[in-house]
Amino acid sequence: MSGWLFLAGLAVVAFPALVWPRRGLLARWRASLAWSARVHREDALKHILKCEANQEVPTLISVAGALQKGQRQVAALLADMEAHGLVSFSDGRLRLREPGHELALHVIRAHRLWESYLADQTGVAEAEWHRQADRQEHLLSPQQISALAAALGNPTRDPHGDAIPDATGELPAEPGQPLGATEINTPVMITHIEDEPEAIYAQLTAQGLRAGMKVCVLEKSPERIRFWADGREHVLAPIFANNIAVSALREFRPADLFEEEYLAGLQRGQVAKVIGLSPACRGAERRRLLDLGFVPGTSVEVDLVSPTGDPTAYRVRGTVVALRREQAGLVRIATERRIAA
Amino acid sequence: MNAIANFQAASVEDLLSAAQRLRQGIPGDLHEHVVEAIYGDAARIADRAVTRPGAPARPAVDRTIDRIVTSRVWGFPIMLVLFTVVFWVTISGANVPSQMISSVLVDRLYPWLRETAASVGLPWWLRGVLIDGMYLATAWVVSVMLPPMAIFFPLFTLLEDLGYLPRVAFNLDNLFKKAGAHGKQSMSMMMGFGCNAAGVVATRIIDSPRERLLAIITNNFALCNGRWPTQVLMATVFIGCLAPSHLGGLTAAVAVTAVAALGVGMTFLVSWGLSRSVLRGEVSTFSLELPPYRPPRLWQTLYSSLIDRTIFVLWRAVVFALPAGAVIWLFANVRIGGVSLANYAIDWLNPVGVLLGLNGVILLAYIIAIPANEIVIPTVLMLTVMVTGMTGLGHGAGVMFDLRDEATLKTLLQAGGWTTLTAVNLMLFSLLHNPCSTTIYTIYKETGSRRWTVVASLLPLALGVVVCAAVAAVWRWLG
Amino acid sequence: MNTSASTSLSTTAAPPSKVCADCQVYRAARLKKLGVAVDKWDYIVALAGNPNTGKSTVFNALTGLRQHTGNWPGKTVTRAEGGFEYAGRRFKLVDLPGTYSLLSTSVDEQVARDFILFGRPDVTVIVVDATRLERNLNLALQVLEITDRAVVCVNLIDEARRHGVQVDDRQLARDLGVPAVPTSARHGEGLPALLEAVSEVASGRLICRPHRLAAEPPAIRDAVRELRARIQAAYPHLPNVRWLALRLLGGDEHIAEALRRGEFAGLETESRLEAADASDAQPQLTVP
Repeated sequence: MSGWLFLAGLAVVAFPALVWPRRGLLARWRASLAWSARVHREDALKHILKCEANQEVPTLISVAGALQKGQRQVAALLADMEAHGLVSFSDGRLRLREPGHELALHVIRAHRLWESYLADQTGVAEAEWHRQADRQEHLLSPQQISALAAALGNPTRDPHGDAIPDATGELPAEPGQPLGATEINTPVMITHIEDEPEAIYAQLTAQGLRAGMKVCVLEKSPERIRFWADGREHVLAPIFANNIAVSALREFRPADLFEEEYLAGLQRGQVAKVIGLSPACRGAERRRLLDLGFVPGTSVEVDLVSPTGDPTAYRVRGTVVALRREQAGLVRIATERRIAA
Repeated sequence: MNAIANFQAASVEDLLSAAQRLRQGIPGDLHEHVVEAIYGDAARIADRAVTRPGAPARPAVDRTIDRIVTSRVWGFPIMLVLFTVVFWVTISGANVPSQMISSVLVDRLYPWLRETAASVGLPWWLRGVLIDGMYLATAWVVSVMLPPMAIFFPLFTLLEDLGYLPRVAFNLDNLFKKAGAHGKQSMSMMMGFGCNAAGVVATRIIDSPRERLLAIITNNFALCNGRWPTQVLMATVFIGCLAPSHLGGLTAAVAVTAVAALGVGMTFLVSWGLSRSVLRGEVSTFSLELPPYRPPRLWQTLYSSLIDRTIFVLWRAVVFALPAGAVIWLFANVRIGGVSLANYAIDWLNPVGVLLGLNGVILLAYIIAIPANEIVIPTVLMLTVMVTGMTGLGHGAGVMFDLRDEATLKTLLQAGGWTTLTAVNLMLFSLLHNPCSTTIYTIYKETGSRRWTVVASLLPLALGVVVCAAVAAVWRWLG
Repeated sequence: MNTSASTSLSTTAAPPSKVCADCQVYRAARLKKLGVAVDKWDYIVALAGNPNTGKSTVFNALTGLRQHTGNWPGKTVTRAEGGFEYAGRRFKLVDLPGTYSLLSTSVDEQVARDFILFGRPDVTVIVVDATRLERNLNLALQVLEITDRAVVCVNLIDEARRHGVQVDDRQLARDLGVPAVPTSARHGEGLPALLEAVSEVASGRLICRPHRLAAEPPAIRDAVRELRARIQAAYPHLPNVRWLALRLLGGDEHIAEALRRGEFAGLETESRLEAADASDAQPQLTVP
């Protein structure tokens, strides 16, 4: 008898917990299914739009690759998307239809704006930008995105150098060619660092590579690519290097790159001129350094060194400003010796 | 009219979309282009207006001073000596005026007020709340707090006006950087040794949001002026006597210094932890300008530091001490079924207190004396007399008092069940507990955020509970 | 904290101490410090400047208030207000937060910029540090891009002398197109001249032709030119067209929003300044 009573009690408690609207287990399970379906749908759209922008042909296989899902599952997904009027199959080709195009553009815009937000307005570590943006891109409404863009000063490029598309219009093609395809000893500039797949992207940013950096390939082999970027040498496997897009830099000689100097290397007694700030210096930090006078053409010299060796105080524009070593490593300079030469 | 407005709105939208289109075509960073152009003009204009007839860019004397105060050999010793002098002058110089104020406010004015109130015919409970409670608590706070602050703040301000403090931040920055903090936090911390509320205000010089929050949250780990007496008392009465008598003073001094050093260690530890967890997402920029030295204007400095810092902090403390005095008196005098509220509270708190190696009296004192750390010890003494029922000490329920005779004090506390463990843990708890209400209010004013105020208030308390419980457990296990 | 503390005590502001009793401000005898008691005023004066240039000292010297000052960048965080009476006119003085620039997006800079732009002060006093003139001119030039009623206060001139630096204020005034007054606010030196200049500009007896950037950086020249033409078409009498163009090109949504609300329409001035914005116009100071 008491056993039945217990079971009945359990049912009374468990039933609402199971079917309670919005908070019950069932509702949560359905919500999570709907969420993951939405994520897959939007990720697929994103992939197709990027392919179209870069004159590549999206296929079932390439979508499955981008989503890291089985082909059967992806086929069902695409069929569902077609039924909803997002994509079309014609002549055996996968194409975006107008609503699909709009949605894909929105998701990419959301992603890139969120990354810009993280980069410029928060102290979130660079390695986390992509992951956080990958989640936010599915959550933000077009209104929120417009407000965010406005608050950020309507940026035109995200921290990886990619164009942030307008709410309407086309996605610009990603400029440049893969780093692996460039000639040896030809200075080029990084225009884009591909953020998919994430593992490769994390490795590239961990090496300190950023869009806007000047690069020169030193050695190429099927196993590895050795190149010079931002004052030091890097080695990458070709699969990694090909996620970096570069474009030619005509007015530079390789020697200019190798001889790049940074403020952190300035010795006491030397005088130097500021050439510019590294692209890795962003947001509030970049603006502050500019406002303090670290603009191209400014003459700098070491004034004081802290007893522990860091920070160092520099004379700049008639004032004395202390910078930490990492910051000084972001200011490109030319010492007098080189100016004379 | 409407048509004109419509026309204007349309032209504004045109303008904005044109701007949007044009900015897509701008290469690089617009801000950079503009700042570069402005600095170009600035350099030209400054060049034409400024002449240096044969003088070096900076006076040789200033340069030499800078080289010395930031040198590898002399940088740290000079800092240490200067701050030791500041603290020594503060502590030794504050004693006499402190006792003078106390003798006037507590020894003379207080009995006179009581008599007057009695002769006027105020009911006993109103006299108690107003004079024994509110007046006495306030008088206590003023006499203990005012003199050291009136000495410490002007001295500190002199160093500040001279331009020495940015050099200290420069010297110490590397240390703070390792904890994820800003070198200027050394200044707010130093200020915190005078008063945490003033220390929190001093964090304004840190212009990076993340580092400023760190400095605010950890400021409470700087052992403030109001907590030094507790430390000194516990160290001399309970710890000094553990050593041979000729080493007693030294042992006590070492114990107090160790607690202060633990506070500094906590500052770094907590800064390190927070900058890697809760505060990870906050913006962080570093900039530290070293201004030229300027000879300070002595009288202006004294005047403004007295007004801006001392009186300001004191005023806030008084505002909070008044109601606290009333609460303390009421706790001791409101009786339910013949037992005072304080007794009930102490009974409830005792098990927790014992677990922490403290007791119910101490916990209650920390709860009701939250406005100022200065009145914790007087409250503890008053409550202990009440609980133990000792006669011949103090002035009755709800009336705070102090004892200048160490032997009597020790007898009283031992009667209240105090051991060496209690003293050690009181020293620890006095370092690691919530900031006083003046500081909490200041934190709220400075951060404008409830969240950070709660974090800054509860984090040290949680640490204190954990540390005290751990010490008590180990102590009992060993002994 | 500074404001609250000094506000509550300002009424008891100390009588002139010995140091100041014989200084020129008092001899001038035309200055009446009003502390915070400014309910009616004839002119509003904004006080802008880099951190740690003695801006608060100037403020205190003129109003008789006691804002805390220190040899630290960034002491004044909140906006402080006070007043003084000079030559029969009442001036309200607003001490803006010290900033390095007006271009970035920090709260301080926005507060300072918005007040200079929309608070429509009759005069903006730009306090610059004579010992660090070049860096300080960065901000001064930015302010002059926004407003045409300004006075440059070359403060800490005593420190400059100690450092062996001489500042030619007449040259500076010619180049900047606004009065430049050397002062040492801590010693009350130069304040009568500063007051005189402020009152001249406020009353319109002195018309400034502020320095505007000699030329746009080449990379943005075309974009700026086109946008300027469009702005000029919409607002023919705006005194700071180029500045507005640069802000819009920078994507400053705050300014775009103000434009949408029509706040710029209210900023148009009479024709006296139209020419001043032409970038090729030589800055000059007209003293009638």
